Amino acid sequence: MHLRTILAIARKDAIDILLNKSMLTVLILPIIFALLFLFMGKLIGGHAANILVYNPGQSPVVQVLSTAFDKVHITEANSPADITAAFGPNGSSKDSPYDAGLIVPADFEHELQAGDHPQLGLYLNGNNLNTQNITLIQAALTSYARQVTNPQAPLALSTVVINPPPTTNFGDLLSTFYGAVALLTSFILGTSLMPGLLIEEKERKTLRMLMVTPASFTDVILGKLFVVLGYQLLLSLIALAIVGGFTGLVPLVLLYTLLGSCLSLAIGLLLGATFQTAGTAGAIGGMLSFIYILPAVFSGPLGALFGNNPIIQVMKVFPTYYIADGVYNAMQNQGTFGGHLLDLGIVLGSTLLLLALTTWILRRQSSVAASI
Amino acid sequence: MRDDDLLIEAIDLRRSFKNNEAVKGISISVPRGEIFGLLGPNGAGKTTTIRMLTGQIEPSGGHATVAGCDVVREHQQLKERIGVVSEEQNLYERLSARNNLRFNCWLYNLPESRVDEVLDLVRLRDRAKDPVRMFSNGMKQRLLIARALLHKPPVLFLDEPSRGLDPIAGREVRGAIEQLSREGMTILLTTHVLEEADQLCQHIAFINQGSIVANDTPRNLKLAHGQRSLLVTVGDRRESSALSELTLNMDNSEDQARLMQLMALGKVQAVHSQEATLEEVFVEIAGVYPA
Repeated sequence: MHLRTILAIARKDAIDILLNKSMLTVLILPIIFALLFLFMGKLIGGHAANILVYNPGQSPVVQVLSTAFDKVHITEANSPADITAAFGPNGSSKDSPYDAGLIVPADFEHELQAGDHPQLGLYLNGNNLNTQNITLIQAALTSYARQVTNPQAPLALSTVVINPPPTTNFGDLLSTFYGAVALLTSFILGTSLMPGLLIEEKERKTLRMLMVTPASFTDVILGKLFVVLGYQLLLSLIALAIVGGFTGLVPLVLLYTLLGSCLSLAIGLLLGATFQTAGTAGAIGGMLSFIYILPAVFSGPLGALFGNNPIIQVMKVFPTYYIADGVYNAMQNQGTFGGHLLDLGIVLGSTLLLLALTTWILRRQSSVAASI
Repeated sequence: MRDDDLLIEAIDLRRSFKNNEAVKGISISVPRGEIFGLLGPNGAGKTTTIRMLTGQIEPSGGHATVAGCDVVREHQQLKERIGVVSEEQNLYERLSARNNLRFNCWLYNLPESRVDEVLDLVRLRDRAKDPVRMFSNGMKQRLLIARALLHKPPVLFLDEPSRGLDPIAGREVRGAIEQLSREGMTILLTTHVLEEADQLCQHIAFINQGSIVANDTPRNLKLAHGQRSLLVTVGDRRESSALSELTLNMDNSEDQARLMQLMALGKVQAVHSQEATLEEVFVEIAGVYPA
């Protein structure tokens, strides 16, 4: 094993991949998927409520209104007239760009405490709010006013919650979902590139040329693993960056990215060792894409909807399920140390097992090749 | 490592694949600067012999040294001292000619300036940036030779270097081989084009069914196995209808005397040597046609 020859092979393959149209397509696939998820996120879960506020006294009541939405974008109005103009006189405008408007008197809290019954102007857009939302917003604002008038709560509320919902809001959950799916689908790259690179050397007889140079067969394999791992990590990180996946426990997300990349390469190497033509390996590699996509879909927020469905149990057969599970937990800053250790252990163990199996196949092939 | 004047030496080299003995005790010696031809039909054991001599497979028996390296024990040093042009045009087709050669520079830890030197040698420098897939077969073959020469090996193995080439490309490749030989490189050549072997090789070994059946210079082989005869055109040059042809055997004293007599009478218009071809020699020795 020589570092010089390993790097030489990696360098050659790095150039060759960029000149190969089909490999180049595989290379940009994670970016296309990530952009697609980003677009879907914007379309479905990424909508931030637009609130127009006139709040000259910087009253905290605006925060109360904000909590009614997952994400808010607050615009400060210069005068109450700006808000009435945005929603029309008496709410006559039908196409306001705002979801809510609030006119807060300059000394709102003082007037409340003085018992002056100050008027709070609330404007709501029914296009983005249902009746329940509107009732809850009104109740929240009234409750806030009562709390300012009399800080002593009129009751001692004892609450017991079973199956507590996630602390993250729906928007964050979707963002995590897209992040994990983009990362998992990016792993298709290693499984698709690796067999092609290895089989091409066999098909074009260039491997025979390499065997009469200072390179050994191990150098050839390591050189290819090195370059595909480089591309895999680079593209996975770009995909994560596009969908905003660097959230939660970022070092753990990066560790899952590294181990997922290694697993993807190990599967690709096994395909390259097993199949003799690039076409067959490519077709099988394409079919194996589901082991990345399905666990990503069924182990996250969507998986929670299925409960203990048999599909979830089937997904647990694939080591990629544990990458997805770990990535979701890491991104949401959740999961126990033991849980992460189990996920990482299963992924690492599967990778080593696949590499051992591939080594056995390659050794067997080389001994057969030498005897014919 | 030993460094003497025999750059390739194989003694009783054998190789079996399961129950089939593909090479049955081959012994050859190739001195420095010589082009040695290994000829034979398909399946005779030529490629197996080359694979053993280049360290790709281990011999089942016997012993061989190439460029002073034992092909089994000094396998890694051997790789640095040989150049191999295999019968397949195994180039990276998407890469340019320059990048194909640069890759080998990286493998052998050579300065990249060497690329231009070998491209000049095979007259491909003006096409250096073109992808190899755009090259003709002849250009690819020349590039293969350039790649094998990049690390200046003392011994070059050429397996069917003119396979699939048109006559012009074949002549170009032969020209490159002759030039390398003039520069002192030792070359082991396999070819099925016996005229090529006749033109290039100082020594030829005919191999059949895993054994060497003849090993000598092309001239000695032709003299030993062919007919020493002359085709003589006699008659009056002014009357073409009166011309006739005679075949005279030079090993026959009567035919020799007759030739002298005809020449003395001024009747000999043309004399053609009917020396045996290498193909005829091979057929006579091995009983089969070379591939």
